[in-house]
Amino acid sequence: MILRLSVLSLLLSKRAVAVGFGLSGLLALALLAAIMLGAYPMSSTQVLDSIRGQADAVARMIVIEHRLPRILTAIGAGAALGMAGAMFQTMLRNPLASPDVIGFTAGASCGALLAMILTGGMVLAGALVGGLSAAALVTLLAWKDGLHPYRLILTGIGISLTLTAGADLLMTKLDALTAAEMAKWLVGSLNTRSWGDVTLIWLGLLVLTPVALWLQFPLRRLAMADDVATALGIALTPARLAIAVTAIALVALAISVSGPLPFVAFVSGPIARRLVKGGAPALLSAAMIGALVTLLADMAARSIPMVQLPAGVFTAIIGAPVLMWLLLVQFRKGTL
Amino acid sequence: MTEPARLMAKDVSVSFGRTSVLNGMLTSVPDGQLTVIVGPNASGKSTLLRSLARLQPVGKGQIILDGKSIHRQNSRSVARRLAILPQMPTAPDGLKVRDLVMRGRTPHQSALRQWSKADAEAVETALEQTGMAHNADLTLEVLSGGQRQRAWIAMALAQDTDILLLDEPTTYLDLPHQIELLRLVRSLNRDTGRTVAMVLHDINLAARFADHIIALKDGRVFRAGPPAEVITEANMDTVFNLPCSVIADPIHGSPHVIPA
Repeated sequence: MILRLSVLSLLLSKRAVAVGFGLSGLLALALLAAIMLGAYPMSSTQVLDSIRGQADAVARMIVIEHRLPRILTAIGAGAALGMAGAMFQTMLRNPLASPDVIGFTAGASCGALLAMILTGGMVLAGALVGGLSAAALVTLLAWKDGLHPYRLILTGIGISLTLTAGADLLMTKLDALTAAEMAKWLVGSLNTRSWGDVTLIWLGLLVLTPVALWLQFPLRRLAMADDVATALGIALTPARLAIAVTAIALVALAISVSGPLPFVAFVSGPIARRLVKGGAPALLSAAMIGALVTLLADMAARSIPMVQLPAGVFTAIIGAPVLMWLLLVQFRKGTL
Repeated sequence: MTEPARLMAKDVSVSFGRTSVLNGMLTSVPDGQLTVIVGPNASGKSTLLRSLARLQPVGKGQIILDGKSIHRQNSRSVARRLAILPQMPTAPDGLKVRDLVMRGRTPHQSALRQWSKADAEAVETALEQTGMAHNADLTLEVLSGGQRQRAWIAMALAQDTDILLLDEPTTYLDLPHQIELLRLVRSLNRDTGRTVAMVLHDINLAARFADHIIALKDGRVFRAGPPAEVITEANMDTVFNLPCSVIADPIHGSPHVIPA
């Protein structure tokens, strides 16, 4: 299927378009359900009225000040993580090569934590620097006559564990109250998000999504093999660098508003690929699945009364079995 | 010893760690001809072909394409003139033959201009030429080895280049499929005037299908020329350390090696 807009001609698979519409529908339903459900259930008319500004003050406050920012942050952060995960998995041709498995997310959390301790703010900048440094470190350590995915993955898992321990160590520098707050953040939490968070993540997505979609062109070719991509005229190093930096920026952005929600980046790509088929990177579908997973996990977290459980607990519950399953599949296929 | 041509290796040396694979390689790929690179294992056949296609970084020397060092040229512009099918290429699961062949159009496209009429025509032509048109909607996994190799060749053809390099295209194919594939390659060379160079293991097939043979020994060109000049008893003994008789193939007239 070809989409033409004057000089623009884009190649889309019918299946990808159908999956995109299906996922958008699901996401819209989940969004509505997320606004309506909670400790104070609301009808759909109440929700609409409060958005239009015609509901009573309590309903308005719950929808506008509490639920919407949290929900929109969940969707944005999930989308950013899903897209970033699919980019790395496609580029390195391995579903295990997602930023949360190979240490880039751990690096970003460490950077964010350090920035908070040192400056009391600068979370995004800290996450960005941390994520890029972790990526550089992993690449450097795994490099030997080129970059072999399995070596990168094993090195990345090692770095990830080290950085997680580093984050724990940093926590001891904090007073008990802040440490408890940080501990929750490190699991990945969407409690008490503000409109500031919403603005940050959505502005970031507005800038980075077109870049990611543009990079989908070399990404499709990199999914084949280095030799084939070179033969087709893709300059490997610049393409890889652009993809890695964009994906890490997406991760850093998500982390700075929601903490490192575990496994969201990891599960989205493989699910999207199975839905879209045809070996396409399917970044938009991966983004929507990431958003859906995060939103559902946060709804689950909110549904448990009295305790403020972080959403990360539930993304981990969804993600861990997928990790085991992928490991098993790859082990059987002998591609690990 | 080397005639000027569009694609040449000038004093190229390549080593992997301490093992030197190419040693001041000096050779050219004659324009419009079908060239086959032969030599014993570890003589540098694949490394030479990969170097010629800029897939292998070279230590010393230069690969010259159209009068300029290939490594100094834009990769996309090179890909519009030279296509290479690497050994055992891989594609993501679930890719269809047509999708694979469409990827061959990459150097003619950009992120904003992903499809044109010329792209569509080149893809259909490539599918026709390789006899893969009726398999175009199958995924690569369900194809036989011979069909899969044809699909990859179709991708390289869709690239629409004057020069086509193939790295051991007959590996893992049985004899009938080897012959079928080499006939296809020769007709591509004869019908469209494409320059073709490939690595083959089988000397007799090389002798039968090639216009020009480059025989390698220890990372250097030992002999290069028409099959009748290169495939001789003395040369086979030196290059392959293989005592043999060489007779004229009773049907095709090309040299035929019979090991002693």
